[in-house]
This record gives sequence, structure tokens and C-alpha cells, in this order.
Amino acid sequence: MNNKLMNFYKSHKPYSQFILFGIILSLLPLLVSLGLVKYSLLTTVASILIYSIVALGLNLLLGYSGLISLGTAGFMGMGTYLTAFITADLGLPFELALIISVAVPMVIGVLTGLVSLRIEGYYLAIATLAISEILRKVFVEFDFITNGFSGKQAQYPKLLGFLQLDRNGTYILIVFFLILVMIMMHNLVNSHTGRALSTMRGSEAAASAMGINIYRHRLLSFAIAVSFSALGGVLYMHFVKYTYPNAWILMLSLNILAVIVIGGIRSISGTILGAFIVFGVPDLILKRLPIIGSIDGAAYIFNGLLIILVILFYPNGLINMRFDIQKNFNKLFRRGEDNNG
Amino acid sequence: MDIFVQILLNSLETGGIYALAALGIILIFRTSVTTNFAQGSISMFSAFLATIVLIRTGISPISAAIVGMIFALIIGVLVDFFVISRAQKVNPVSKQIITLGLIMIFLGLAPMLFGTDPLQFPRFVYGSYSFFGATISYNAIFNIVVGLALMGVLFFALQKTKWGLSVRATASNEVVARMMGIPTASVTRASWAIAAALGTLSALMLAPTNSVNLSMMDTVQVTALLACILGGFTSFYGAVIAAYLIGFASNLLSFYVSSIWSDSILYLLILTTILFKPTGLFGKKVIKKV
Repeated sequence: MNNKLMNFYKSHKPYSQFILFGIILSLLPLLVSLGLVKYSLLTTVASILIYSIVALGLNLLLGYSGLISLGTAGFMGMGTYLTAFITADLGLPFELALIISVAVPMVIGVLTGLVSLRIEGYYLAIATLAISEILRKVFVEFDFITNGFSGKQAQYPKLLGFLQLDRNGTYILIVFFLILVMIMMHNLVNSHTGRALSTMRGSEAAASAMGINIYRHRLLSFAIAVSFSALGGVLYMHFVKYTYPNAWILMLSLNILAVIVIGGIRSISGTILGAFIVFGVPDLILKRLPIIGSIDGAAYIFNGLLIILVILFYPNGLINMRFDIQKNFNKLFRRGEDNNG
Repeated sequence: MDIFVQILLNSLETGGIYALAALGIILIFRTSVTTNFAQGSISMFSAFLATIVLIRTGISPISAAIVGMIFALIIGVLVDFFVISRAQKVNPVSKQIITLGLIMIFLGLAPMLFGTDPLQFPRFVYGSYSFFGATISYNAIFNIVVGLALMGVLFFALQKTKWGLSVRATASNEVVARMMGIPTASVTRASWAIAAALGTLSALMLAPTNSVNLSMMDTVQVTALLACILGGFTSFYGAVIAAYLIGFASNLLSFYVSSIWSDSILYLLILTTILFKPTGLFGKKVIKKV
């Protein structure tokens, strides 16, 4: 029986790994209710998982198309406001809110992309920076929908019209979406589109000579990145239950970028690792340290330095550390053998 | 008529602020092939330094501005020495990300060193002058003249001096320039220093109307980057002209359309413009060779 399970696990990699990861994450509420870990840890982990979803979309954009989006926070914020408006103000079901709140930012993203992706890649970063400034203005000024600076509230989601989730239930929903997104990313990267994106990464000129439409693929990866940002926003809104304009500043977009760069570009597990480093370490470790913990900007400095150091000295991200450690360990081990023999 | 003159005068001042920041971004773009997103944060940081010096020592605002610009030169050199010069082999996208990492560092350091409260930076000169029914403060005239003069000197230097020639050579092809004996590393370092100083001046010109705070340069940063897009990244003067155009359009829009939405409308207008003119108003089309 045990053997069968192991075989099943091995033959269905990496899906089985993803699902195992999901199951392990789902155990956290149980640990909280047993009193083994702190109540606030669930909130920290949930937000890390939400940012992982957002970062996975952006990883496709940065890793395969070599494009940077600085509108991540803006599109996430848009997702939060839309879903709050649709569920709380209009009283429509969560599922409909989810679809609309992902679709509308995606359309705006595609329009931005239509304009900026024709030209050099670095135009997208500037265009999305401008769009996110406009969005933040909208969050503040459209106060009949967004409530201005005082922010907007929503409730835990109600699935299918009758299944009212609580805090733990919403957490499980986030885990479910994360695993879904991980599987989707894995399939996409290994599909025809994924191979086309990989070719583009190698050489855009060669890719277009082979008949790959660069513009269309750039647009596609940007649309996916934006929709994952919005999905993250929707989940954020229904877990944190509160949104306000200053939550969606450039700094958040930069942190999400840091997740990918630090964790590992083009790596699903690297993205998750990066999210735990960028959003977990400041919350769980830096704030507890005696002197550093009391400094306001410590988390920013930590992440900023880490970005630069990783790019300069470890460009494939910290997820590759395990291979390097293994290699060095093997080398050390072999040398020891040589000396003995 | 008098309103129009007033708008024109205001535009010269705001346009000058954008132009200084945009010129810094272009200078770095041409020598290090990266869009420097940290321009605004470095300027904000040096503006804080200048203001602190002003408050502690009580020197005149002009000397404080000069001290701030010297700090900025040093910061520019340090940034290049510790980060950018080590990232020569890094691809352009990662270089952009490095400048984004710099934003995080400066935005993290600023509240740590200077506190989170906004500081006040006074005008350089006081008093005002009216003609054609429009009023202009001496400070605005000072800003306009200093901005134009500084840009004039810089353009003259770019066109006529040996330094300018080496900057233009580095900009057009770094490898060939190095083979011709141009010290491209120090050219790049000088551009980072000058860009930081230009940005700091624009920050200090902006400071009296606003205050010295962490997000003071956000709008300027976005506008300057858009000015570079509108003017085209391929020329030095294009971005400067575009910056003045944007300053004018921004003042017109905020007077005649809406003061809240003027920036947003402007951003959308600029993005639509590049849909029809992808290389910018003054840009040349660069043909990629394989």
C-alpha cells in the first residue's frame, strides 16, 4: 500500500509534489487551533501565498518575455476594489465577482500592452508605472465606489451561494488557488506556447524568423501576469477584508519583483521560496531582532540589497542553492575519499 | 490672455523641473543602457540631506542646494562604484531591476536617517514681479533661468568638449568607444554623478511648493520617464523639449479641464501618442541587426 502510494507520487511528479505541498499548507489552521503556532502566523502565511500567486504570473512575464511590469500593485488593488464593490455593494455572488474582477484588469492590462509592447521591452515598465499612478488616483478620487482614503471592506467569501467560509476556510481557498496556479504555470511552460516563449527568451530575432509572433506572445504573458495579480487582489480582499489606496503603492510591485529575482527566475518552487523570503523574513525574523527590528525601512533595505546581490552574484536565484550545496558537498566528499584511498 | 501668460510662465517652471530629471535619466540611459528608476529616490535622498544641512547650519538655501548637489555627485559615484560598474555583463532587464532595488534601499534608508516627518525647504529668493497681468515670483524666474542655464552648459559640453564627445561615443557604441581609448568606465561614473545632481536640483526646486518628503519625487519620476518616451530615448534634447511640452500640457489641462485628473489624462495622452509615433517625437528609428 505504502509502496503503491510512493510509486504514484513518483510517477505523477511534479503534480503530486504540488498537491503534497498544498496538503502540508492546509494543515496550518489545524496547528493554529491546537495552539502550536501563533494565530497571527496564519495571516502572514496567507498573504505570502497570495503574493506567490501574483509573483507566479509576473515570473512568466519577466522570466520568459524579459518584461517588467510595475503595475502589479495597481492591478491587485483594482481586483480588491472590484470584488468588494460587487460582493458588498451590489450583493452579487463571489464567483461572479471573481470572474469580473479578474477580467476587467486584464482588459485594461491588454490595452496598456497593446500600446507599449510594440516598441522596446523597457517601455512596458514605464507604461505600467504610469497606469498604476492613474489607478491609485482612481482609488482615492472615485470615493462613491472606493470610499477614498478611509478604505473599503468586504466579507469572507460565500461559495456557490450557501457555503459561507470562515478565516480558515478562506485560507484553504487561497491554498487551493495557489496549487491550481502552480499546476497551470507548469502546464503552460511545457506547452507549445511555453516553448515559443522560451525561444523568444533565447533570441527574439531567431524566434520571429521561426514564425513566432513576438508581439502576440508578449501580450499573452502580460495578460496572464495581470490576471494573476487581479486574482491575488480578489483573494487578498476576502481574506484581509479591508483595502485602502496606500496599500497599492509602487513598493509592493517592487517587492513582488524581488520575490522572483531572489527566489529564482523561471522557477515555480523558486517563486514560492522568494515569497517566503521577501514577505516572511521581515515579518517573522527582522521585526523580532533587538535594534534592526525598530527601524522603519529595514525590510526595504533588506529586500533591496538582496535583489542587487542576487543579480550580481547569483543570477539564477536562491532556489539553485540546493544544487550548488549538493555539488560542493559531493566534491568535498569525493576529495575525502581520494585522500583516504 | 493674462491667464495664458500665467500658464506659460508656470509651465516654464514645472517643465524645467521635469526637464532636469529627464536629462539625468537620458544621460544614464545613453551611457549605461538602463532606464534609471531610482533617479527620483536618489534625488529625494539628497534633497533630504540638503534640507538637514540647511536646518542644522542655517546657511542660505542656495548654498544648501549646492551642498545637496555635491552630496548627490558623491552618491552617484558610490552607486556606480558599488553597483552599476559591477553589472556590466548583466542583461538590460536585470539592470533595470537593479535600479528598482536601489529605490528600495534609498526609500528604506531615508526614514531611518531623516525621520518620517516632511521637512520644509524655503524658496531660493523671495518676492514677485507682475507684467501683462500675470504674476511670477522671483523664485520661479530663478528656477527657470538656473534650469535653462544648466541645461545650456550641459548641451554645450556634450557637443563641444572632449568629455561630451566621449559621452556621445560611449552612448553610440560602448565597446568601440573603449577600443578607441575612451575611458568608458569613468564616463559612465560621471554620468551617474551628474544625473544625481540634476535630479537633486529639480527636487529642491519642487520642494518649496510641496515639502521634502519620501514621495516628493514620485510624480516627477513618472513624468520624466514619460518625457523620455515622448521625446525618444535616442536623443539628448528630445526628452528636454518633451519635458517642457508636458509641463505646458499639464498646466493647461489642470486649468481648463481638471486639476485632479490632469496628470492621469496627460499620461494617457502620452501613451496614445507613442501608439502613433513609437520612437517618440524626436527619436530616430534604430534598426536591429542580427
